[in-house]
Amino acid sequence: MTDKRSFTKDTTKMDCAHFQERLPELFESGADLGADEHLRSCSNCAALVRDLEYIAQQAKLLLPLHDPSPTVWTNIQSAIQRDGVNLERENKSPVKHP
Amino acid sequence: MSTGDTEPIPINQHMRRNPPIEGEAEAITKAQNGDSEAFELLYSLHKRRVYSLCLRMLGNIAEAEDLTQEAFLQLYRKIGTFRGDSAFSTWLHRLAVNVVLMHLRKKGLTQISLEESLEPVQDDGPRKDVGARDLTLAGSIDRVTLERAVENLPPGYRLVFVLHDVEGYEHNEIADMLACSIGNSKSQLHKARMKLRELLRTGERKEQAV
Repeated sequence: MTDKRSFTKDTTKMDCAHFQERLPELFESGADLGADEHLRSCSNCAALVRDLEYIAQQAKLLLPLHDPSPTVWTNIQSAIQRDGVNLERENKSPVKHP
Repeated sequence: MSTGDTEPIPINQHMRRNPPIEGEAEAITKAQNGDSEAFELLYSLHKRRVYSLCLRMLGNIAEAEDLTQEAFLQLYRKIGTFRGDSAFSTWLHRLAVNVVLMHLRKKGLTQISLEESLEPVQDDGPRKDVGARDLTLAGSIDRVTLERAVENLPPGYRLVFVLHDVEGYEHNEIADMLACSIGNSKSQLHKARMKLRELLRTGERKEQAV
């Protein structure tokens, strides 16, 4: 006789695995994940989606804040002046700015 | 740890971070013709983002400054070849990314191709999240915590995460920068976010246990 609870659990696990495999494409497609059937019935995957969205949002906190020290520009200038011949520029192509 | 109760926005609605910069096109043309002031202007416009990328990838100020210097020296050499087929910042970032990858290879990844160096070793991969008990991160991450977690990502994941989620580049631009496929970029980004979630949740559990 089949254990109904274990069957349900296995089916849910399979659904979760399938959903999570599709997740990268779902995110990138811009699909409305709130309408996803599996997500509405699976609190675990819903929490995963919330977390991943939250991480992507919080990543904006990491925008650059610091400049390199002034020494970097001084060194660049020195290298250009000192090794000017060695830093000979590559062939120029016609410029086509957007 | 707190960042307020802002609602997460859909993951695909990402703000563009590299809009055209006023005066940049003119400075590029002048720098291509050898104008040193124009080159200095380009440096001042882009030094922060290039340095930040180097610093995130290396985690060391001295090395990050060395590579920023190298990236701009390469820019000086190669600016004549910029044709405007992509945004200048994308082109410059590609150049900086190559400098960083070359440096990382010299440090121990010499046998690895660019595509492979984007693929973290198996043990570093994120786990599928099937049947785990729930603990949502919402409202619990601050800049420092996230910064630390990003530092602990494998380099390949970190690079794509920084370029996409922090810097705002599109997958086609990242694929172009890293000479990999768009699918590879998407896959690396997803793995990076999954790994970050794992790292952040582990951190939270440790905090709760104290």
